[in-house]
Amino acid sequence: MKVLVANNMAPFMWGGAEELAVTLVDRIRRRGHEAELLRLPFRWDPVEDILGQMLAIRSLELPNTDRLIALKFPVYLLRHEHKSMWLLHQFRQAYDLYDAGMSPMHDSVRGDELREAIARADGQSFHEAHAVYTNSPTTSDRLWHYNEVPSDVLRPPLNDPELFGGGRSDGYIFAGGRVTGAKRQLLLIEAMAHASSKVKLVIAGPPESYRDPAALKKKIEELGLQDRVHLDLRLLSRREVGEYANRSLACAYIPFDEDSLGYVAMEAAEAGKAIITTTDSGGVRGMVQPGNNGWIADPTPQSLGAAMSAATASPAKTRKMGQASREYWRGMNITWDYTLDRLLS
Amino acid sequence: MIPFVGGGARNIVDWLADELVARGHEVEKVMLPFSDEPNDLFPQLAAFRSIDLTDAVDLAICIRPPAYFVKHPRKVVWFIHHLRTYYDLWESEFRLMQDTAIARSRRDALRRADTAALGEASRIFVNSQVVGDRLARFNGIESTVLYPPLPADYAASSKPAGDSITYVSRLDLTKRQHLLVEALALTTTEVRLVLAGKAAGGGYGVYLKEHAANLGVSERVTVDDRWVSDEEKSDLIAGSLAVAYLPVDEDSYGYPSLEAARAQRPVLTTTDSGGVLELVRDGVNGRVVEPTAEALAAAMDELFTNREQTALMGRALADSTVELGISWDTVIEGLLS
Repeated sequence: MKVLVANNMAPFMWGGAEELAVTLVDRIRRRGHEAELLRLPFRWDPVEDILGQMLAIRSLELPNTDRLIALKFPVYLLRHEHKSMWLLHQFRQAYDLYDAGMSPMHDSVRGDELREAIARADGQSFHEAHAVYTNSPTTSDRLWHYNEVPSDVLRPPLNDPELFGGGRSDGYIFAGGRVTGAKRQLLLIEAMAHASSKVKLVIAGPPESYRDPAALKKKIEELGLQDRVHLDLRLLSRREVGEYANRSLACAYIPFDEDSLGYVAMEAAEAGKAIITTTDSGGVRGMVQPGNNGWIADPTPQSLGAAMSAATASPAKTRKMGQASREYWRGMNITWDYTLDRLLS
Repeated sequence: MIPFVGGGARNIVDWLADELVARGHEVEKVMLPFSDEPNDLFPQLAAFRSIDLTDAVDLAICIRPPAYFVKHPRKVVWFIHHLRTYYDLWESEFRLMQDTAIARSRRDALRRADTAALGEASRIFVNSQVVGDRLARFNGIESTVLYPPLPADYAASSKPAGDSITYVSRLDLTKRQHLLVEALALTTTEVRLVLAGKAAGGGYGVYLKEHAANLGVSERVTVDDRWVSDEEKSDLIAGSLAVAYLPVDEDSYGYPSLEAARAQRPVLTTTDSGGVLELVRDGVNGRVVEPTAEALAAAMDELFTNREQTALMGRALADSTVELGISWDTVIEGLLS
């Protein structure tokens, strides 16, 4: 079977969705199908150009293709008799961001018209799809709310679970992922000042701006935590990320109101590590059953400090929670096998 | 591109991208799907036209038609062929549609649209003089030749020359493998023939085998109807006596000619093979003969009998690629100038 995976592209931009598309193609090939990635350029600025691009995508032909899996607006407007959608998100500028007054369409005299055109085209496209999946309950809820289209949630599995095999703990708490305000690494450092002196913290990941590392370093010095907090702020290889997770005692991930379960939390669970998160971390909470496989702290230095102390006080207990973490995660069945069964059905 | 169809037109994009990256540039490949169904032609041209890469990239290098319809203030075209059925093949037996009024007006509209889109380009290069001539004749557009090289990491194997005339290419009526089978039947020496490559469809591969059987030459011809890996290809060519390449009025000298040059094997071709003749000269670095079984048979026998001369011509072909300046340095210097 020839399966075409379609995604948008903006030249020289690369992120999670791009990585997922590449992995999806690779996994379909491993199943013995032919798979290819189609990346169509799309620009949303100026918004007046969006309509023409929608028409363009609608006008393209896909010869020699048995299946189409489309990931985003507007590539899912492609015409194909067997189209599945795995929606990573809608064009939010035309929906919830518009309602929230946070869309560039508000600045255009044609904004309303455009929004309606997008909703109409979306409706038609969802309707003609063989199946509609989304990556999260939030995306599904929005799809139902705005387009009245039912969808099943297929959470994206880890791209490289084999790198998170777990292993002996070196006793530190690992905080991975992008380093930026919304991921609140600063709060973790503040929490260290309230945690027992045995707690060690490793923060590793690419900073979003040069300001982030400076702020973290300053805070560490202010609080005198140089001996207990290790910073490794750069784009690490996936193997290095795996190493950090595998050798940790537990993992902390406290983004603010994340849509998804969070790759960092999923990696921690795959590696068999207990997870520390906060009450306001959104989808990440779905990875943690307090007391069983981790801690859901208040987003305060005191509460987080207490959770980190608890994790460090009894390593044997924390290791057991780590095993529970892996079992709980495995039970969710978020695997490429299952994902492909659905996407290719 | 056509989904799931690889080959020359994609290779040139991949190789060029690799060479640009090796020289420190940032590169994104944009491959847009395209169907050659005549009724879908103009909606697709409009779609390509709606893609605006202004500000997103510093330079857009457009290769296969109709990629040059995209919008960018600094658009450089490395033109490798027209949508030929609407151009030079229109008056030939290879035209893919009937000559109706609507088809003719579509043809004329495409030619006008091509001329306009190409006219926006800041530079236009072609992959051969043949294509450059067509561009001048049909679109009134001047161009500069930039010969496409093989990838830098193309591995040429080293082997003593064998007894076979070897043709590694898609098995296809327009590549005329059947003519070589017919020629083989007229040879008087023990020269052999190897035809390797995936049949494009329509049972041409099966036909070639039957044809060989009917002519009583099955013993001396190998028809290997399948996709051939680069390693196998380079091995087959290295072990050959000479390489055959006789497409009908090809756009360029073709990668098989360059692969022959890498292995220092001469090329056997025909007087009507188009761009191949920009590289291959009769008696110098290969044989160029009339496209008949008789002429090809005589050339095959001579290549087989005068082995020393054959080897000399093979080495001369390798020298010719250097003389023509077939290198990535030349290509990239041109495209970025």
